[in-house]
Amino acid sequence: MDDALIPKGVKRCPLPEFLMKLGPVVALLLWGVVAMFMCWIKGLNQTNMNDSYGFALWIWADLTVIALGGGAFFTGLLRYIIGKDKLKEILNFAVLIGFICYSSALLILAIDIGQPLRGWFIFWHANVHSMLTEVAFCLTCYFGVLTIEYLPLVLENRQIDRVPFFHNLSHNMHEIMPVFAATGAFLSFFHQGSLGGVAGVLFARPFAYREGIFIWPWTFFLFTWSAAAYGPCFTIMLAKITEKITGKRLVKDDVYALLAKIAGWMMATYVVAKIVDTWYWATVTAPSKGQTLMDFYSNNPFYGIWILILEIGVGGVIPAAILITRKGRRTPFLLVTAVVLGVVGVCVNRWAMVLQVMAVPVLPFEGWPMYYPSWQEVATTLLPVAYGILLVAFSYRYLPVFPQEPELNPIVTEAREPAESEATGGAGDAEMKPAEA
Amino acid sequence: MKMDRRSFLSFVIGGAAGTALSPLPWKLTDDLAIWSQNWPWTPVPERGEVSFVKTTCMLCPGGCGVTVRKVGDRAVKIEGTKGHPVNDGGICILGLSGLQLLYGPARVPSPLRRAGERGQNRWEKLSWDEALSLVAERLAGLREKKLPHTVACISGTDTGTVPRLMERFLAAYGSPNFIRTPSMRDSYEMTLHLMQGVQASAGFDVEHADFILSFGSGILEGWGSPVRMFRAHSKWKETGVKVVQIEPRLSNTAAKSDKWIPVNPGSEGILALGLARVIVEESLYRKAFIDTYTSGLEAWTREVLGRWTPENVEQATGVDKSTLVALARSFAGARRPLAICGRGRGDTPGSIGEFMAVHALNALVGNINRKGGVWAVPDPDYIQWPEVETDAVAAAGLQQGRIDGAGSKKYIHARHLLHRLPEIVDASDPSVVQALFVLEANPYYTLPDRDLLKKAWKKIPFIVSFSSFMDETARNADLILPNPMYLERYEDVPYARGFNKPLIGLAKPVTAPQFNTLPTGDVLIRLARALGDPVAGAFPWENYEQCLSETLQDMWEPLQETGYQVASDFEPGSGSGAFDTASGKFEFNPEKAREAAAHVSVQARGEAPGYPLILIPSDSMRRATGYIGDPPFVVKTVPETVLKGNDLLVEINPETAKALGLSEGKRAVLKTPKGQARVRVHLFHGVAPGVVAMPTGLGHQAYDAYLAGKGVNFNDLIAAVEDGASGLNAAWGIRAKLSRA
Amino acid sequence: MKHEQAKKYGMVIDLDKCTGCGACMVACMAENNIPFKKDETNKLDSITWMRVYQLTNGKPFPNTDICYIPRPCMHCEGDHGHSPCVSVCPATATDYSLKTGIVSQIYTRCFGCRYCMAACPYHARYFNWWDPVWPDGMEKYLNPDVSPRMRGVVEKCSFCFHRYQLAMNKAFLEGRRELEEAQYQTACAQACPAGAIVFGDLNNTKHRVHRIVQPDPAHGGRPKNPKAFRLLERLGTNPKVYYLSSREWVRRLADHYLPNETPGKGH
Ligand SMILES: Nc1nc2c(c(=O)[nH]1)N[C@H]1C(S)=C(S)[C@@H](COP(=O)(O)OP(=O)(O)OC[C@H]3O[C@@H](n4cnc5c(=O)[nH]c(N)nc54)[C@H](O)[C@@H]3O)O[C@H]1N2
Ligand SMILES: Nc1nc2c(c(=O)[nH]1)N[C@H]1C(S)=C(S)[C@@H](COP(=O)(O)OP(=O)(O)OC[C@H]3O[C@@H](n4cnc5c(=O)[nH]c(N)nc54)[C@H](O)[C@@H]3O)O[C@H]1N2
Ligand code: SF4
Ligand code: SF4
Ligand code: SF4
Ligand code: SF4
Ligand code: SF4
Repeated sequence: MDDALIPKGVKRCPLPEFLMKLGPVVALLLWGVVAMFMCWIKGLNQTNMNDSYGFALWIWADLTVIALGGGAFFTGLLRYIIGKDKLKEILNFAVLIGFICYSSALLILAIDIGQPLRGWFIFWHANVHSMLTEVAFCLTCYFGVLTIEYLPLVLENRQIDRVPFFHNLSHNMHEIMPVFAATGAFLSFFHQGSLGGVAGVLFARPFAYREGIFIWPWTFFLFTWSAAAYGPCFTIMLAKITEKITGKRLVKDDVYALLAKIAGWMMATYVVAKIVDTWYWATVTAPSKGQTLMDFYSNNPFYGIWILILEIGVGGVIPAAILITRKGRRTPFLLVTAVVLGVVGVCVNRWAMVLQVMAVPVLPFEGWPMYYPSWQEVATTLLPVAYGILLVAFSYRYLPVFPQEPELNPIVTEAREPAESEATGGAGDAEMKPAEA
Repeated sequence: MKMDRRSFLSFVIGGAAGTALSPLPWKLTDDLAIWSQNWPWTPVPERGEVSFVKTTCMLCPGGCGVTVRKVGDRAVKIEGTKGHPVNDGGICILGLSGLQLLYGPARVPSPLRRAGERGQNRWEKLSWDEALSLVAERLAGLREKKLPHTVACISGTDTGTVPRLMERFLAAYGSPNFIRTPSMRDSYEMTLHLMQGVQASAGFDVEHADFILSFGSGILEGWGSPVRMFRAHSKWKETGVKVVQIEPRLSNTAAKSDKWIPVNPGSEGILALGLARVIVEESLYRKAFIDTYTSGLEAWTREVLGRWTPENVEQATGVDKSTLVALARSFAGARRPLAICGRGRGDTPGSIGEFMAVHALNALVGNINRKGGVWAVPDPDYIQWPEVETDAVAAAGLQQGRIDGAGSKKYIHARHLLHRLPEIVDASDPSVVQALFVLEANPYYTLPDRDLLKKAWKKIPFIVSFSSFMDETARNADLILPNPMYLERYEDVPYARGFNKPLIGLAKPVTAPQFNTLPTGDVLIRLARALGDPVAGAFPWENYEQCLSETLQDMWEPLQETGYQVASDFEPGSGSGAFDTASGKFEFNPEKAREAAAHVSVQARGEAPGYPLILIPSDSMRRATGYIGDPPFVVKTVPETVLKGNDLLVEINPETAKALGLSEGKRAVLKTPKGQARVRVHLFHGVAPGVVAMPTGLGHQAYDAYLAGKGVNFNDLIAAVEDGASGLNAAWGIRAKLSRA
Repeated sequence: MKHEQAKKYGMVIDLDKCTGCGACMVACMAENNIPFKKDETNKLDSITWMRVYQLTNGKPFPNTDICYIPRPCMHCEGDHGHSPCVSVCPATATDYSLKTGIVSQIYTRCFGCRYCMAACPYHARYFNWWDPVWPDGMEKYLNPDVSPRMRGVVEKCSFCFHRYQLAMNKAFLEGRRELEEAQYQTACAQACPAGAIVFGDLNNTKHRVHRIVQPDPAHGGRPKNPKAFRLLERLGTNPKVYYLSSREWVRRLADHYLPNETPGKGH
């Protein structure tokens, strides 16, 4: 039915089947949209946030998707600026994921603020001292850049491409893409950093406060660094999931391996920095305010020291160790394990920097306030997930997202190409079904 | 024109770009933001000329002077009146919230007649003429049947022109049954009567005392005139006055005191006797005062104190001997020590034995009618109305004796015994009360043993409430004749609880009446007129305002100006003239005291095995316990350790909790011989193991949605315990059982 | 010139006198048009610019002790006006006035991002989760000097700034440049029945706050009075609300201390 729109050289399932499979996702999306409008119309009383938890679940999601979307700027940087040409095979996908992540982040911010109609005051009445101001400006600009980066891909749709104007536009945009990639990398460096700064500058919240270098809190660098390290993991993880779902190989292993290797080394250095930061904070910063490390991890039902171990050990040291070894990144099981652990690690880090910051009592006579999200919050937080799945699905169906797909899945033979490396075989895949949620 | 794909796309994109570049979206964005700043559903208070009205707060017996800030004709804020002798600019949490009552949803909008069953809260509005003729008819009927004495009135106070007009109305009509609601005022009056022979209220010169010995009095919980006590407390802190608090629970007063002595609940009077014994035995008393101005010490020592050796006291109170002796010495050694009693806010009278024992301590240190001591403050005498002339029906009615038994042979010294009423009404058939008026009181909420009360209530055929608010009593009445609030009416307030100088405050209209109300004074004058002579003859005034201004005579004008008149040079006189007893001296009154001392500590109801714990009330300034229910602001300040959602939390010691398998916030069932309630527990080290402390002032079913349904009414779980010597209600707690729910 | 000397309004609250009665909370609610809801028992969404906390020494019966501590906004000066909350606000909806030392809040500017709440360690900031609703007729008592806030914005204690403005207007009309201590008093200080709250200009040696606290300008306003202390002083918030207590355990609960540190010496 929609054959005319489908890229040349690839095969897609029939439209009804495609739409049917997306049914549950659309339902999830609608649920999220209902919740979103409830928050807008009735106000934030629809959430379980409160005066102690002024930031909660979806701000965590916001920070997390921005970190995970870091794959886009970092891959772009590697390809256009550093010259890792091989990465162009996954760059489209990385840009798509980045676009989804950043548009989701902006949407979440629009729902999160108490007076959405005045959201633009952040630009109009900007306070240059505020990390959020910087976040808002950079985030918006970078979203623009991502749109520009994503647009050529859209223009490459078979029907659009037939219009000479768009064809030329797309071509010219490709030409100047390195400029945007550089701009994107620059903007990302700052807003990823400012997002780290959001928590890091809270000098009256000892759990969040990390002293800094010049005017920047430590978290500024840690956040940028971790986004560069973990963003590619997320790109790889989603590409693997897409392969799993479509039942096709879409990216060659050497591309994965290259990206994984770079991410691994970024992660390894990041983890060292993070450990140094934690160490300094636990032994110098906190004691100078009269507190010890365990003050932040005990006397409450949830926030235990396990969080720190999960974040730095399980989600940092282990995946870094896997990815920096050739064997690790070449073994599909280990590679997938490492990227999943990495994603978990960065999620936990952002969780701690949002939710745990709010939970830790600062006044000595207060206890830990506990928080659980309302269904409206959960639905609104899942809304971007549903939207992301849809955008990936439609992009995959109608746009040449994976340049290597036709080569890896020749349409004439209809038979699956023999595996390049034997470990891609079914057994391994079946065992480690990646989290599909 | 043929629209191809290309031109279509161009059109769409061009249109979008054009719109974005036009001023439209920007203007719209700005307008939306401005709209969000001026949402029509967020009120914008009107401006107007600012003015101030000085008046008197009537929300508790504290008698504070307040100044109301007005903008145009709206009252916007209540503040304390600077220079007022009682509160000098300070104000309490309840007084501050008066405007929420004035403009609040709990107001009764007009005269109302019950439309459904009692308590169903279904009403029909009627005019004042209709309402008054309804009452007049009823009263005329009872008089015709020669039953005027079956009309009773429960009133929050008996001083001031309005309660006195009510009393006068009943007298002219033929009923002696004007009943004041109970409080420690009853027991202090009786104490002064028995020991000093005077009819007076107790005033405390707290500003000048230099050692405060408090037997459970909630100095910071609302005892006396709250703001004044707070101010005194701060002064004590500044000048180093020692405060010793004797109380089973760590109340705010106890926490702020220099020494908190936890006693076994109910044994405070015994401790007082024990202290007296040490003082006498060690000859620490003021000999000059004792010898010259008192009589009966020797006999009293022998007959009353004899039993209370330090060992026995230790056994009964749990306070060890050495503490007792040291306390007696420091109390007697202070220059102007002052002992006070009346538990918590003083809502329950308490045993007369306890009051006499504490008062005797003051006598031992010579601190009666002296600087820093207890003063007998004579009741105000400005109300000089001609004697009521009664006809035969009225005279016969007045001969009947009071329904509550006060003043009868058995209760010879008691003036009001409201707690007895439910039982008496319940036992009579037909009811000895055929018509009940309720004035500035909320007995349906405040009387203990509410199961019995509800049974008795059903038997009373006609109940009229004069309340400004839809309180529990009004809601369970047949007719409501709403009084304007104190901020809308004139009324004299000749009383500030515990204040040691004669004082008259004037409440005056700050705003026009917000609802269709009529001052109760006017209601009585019009009712009297409707009943005709001789009742009408006792009410010669045109209206209440005329009555008030004529009664106040030359004070009327200055009162309008300043809001209060105080006899600042008042001296109670400490010489012989001050005591109106047979001996002309302060009497230790061994005979009465012996009887009283036999009941110095009344037993809590209930037996130990079934009810292993002791339940006591705990008062707080943040919870009004009297006629007024907490306004929304005050409810808002109730901490989460007292109220969680609609659940009340009772305090228990962590040890008790452990034994019962309860932890913080857990639900439990609290059961007493009088009732049971579902509660939650709050673990608090400041309450003794084995004791349950229950916050008072909650569990309202009426007023507004901000108060109704929150928590449990302490009065549901307790019953009066009659003091064998005085007849007053001396209950201080009740035995209880707490189990996991 | 004398009249140009910057003011630094502050408070000192005597915890020995404070009775925990809550009048300051309600005085503030009444003065500043603070809304209320049917259920206010969840203190995490209950707007109380002034909140009175109960402290306990945690000892078992009968050695238990409690103390109350009223907490308005501390009007933190931080380091030269770098208050925790002011510097983070992206929309400049809250500001530190170097003229008065008061941290302001512009409700119509605030767009409700709540970053300032995350920054404030005292929980002095409150979000309007709901539209404020007054029962029919009750809006009559609203104070026209303070605008009621709409849903979705943050609010907090303003040191009753409108009273400052009114006092300054009056002074200006009467040809005065200086305010006497009594001419500008906050609603809570005025109401406190215990007289526990003293308000005034910390820079003015004639004002009681200055005399009681004896702030040391060389050390970030640290009190020279040994009974005086501030909450969480070690965080560098430099608050302008001071407390007095004669009880050691109370002073210790005002800040965090390592087991081997004692208040007053750990920093
Ligand atoms: N005595 C004296 N007079 C002055 C001044 C002074 O300092 N002293 N200053 C002068 C100056 S500089 C100015 S700008 C003017 C200001 O004078 P006005 O514009 O009158 O300003 P305000 O009195 O502050 O507020 C006006 C009204 O707006 C309401 N309001 C507040 N917020 C909102 C909202 O969001 N929406 C709506 N619809 N109403 C709202 C307030 O409750 C108040 O009733 O006064 C001038 N006049
Ligand atoms: N909470 C709250 N904040 C507000 C407002 C509000 O309504 N509520 N209103 C806002 C508005 S509309 C305004 S305009 C601003 C006003 O805010 P400001 O401009 O700070 O106004 P003033 O407090 O009047 O301060 C003016 C200063 O100038 C001095 N001054 C007076 N005459 C002279 C002179 O001839 N020469 C010099 N050199 N100095 C002089 C005065 O003594 C005073 O110190 O406040 C704003 N802030
Ligand atoms: S203490 Fe009583 S009289 Fe005084 S302000 Fe409070 S309620 Fe009114
Ligand atoms: S009003 Fe005064 S005494 Fe009452 S809680 Fe507030 S500061 Fe303490
Ligand atoms: S107390 Fe909180 S809101 Fe107030 S100035 Fe300090 S940081 Fe800001
Ligand atoms: S909530 Fe309002 S005041 Fe607070 S930081 Fe955001 S915009 Fe500023
Ligand atoms: S200073 Fe004013 S705004 Fe601040 S707590 Fe006190 S009354 Fe409220």
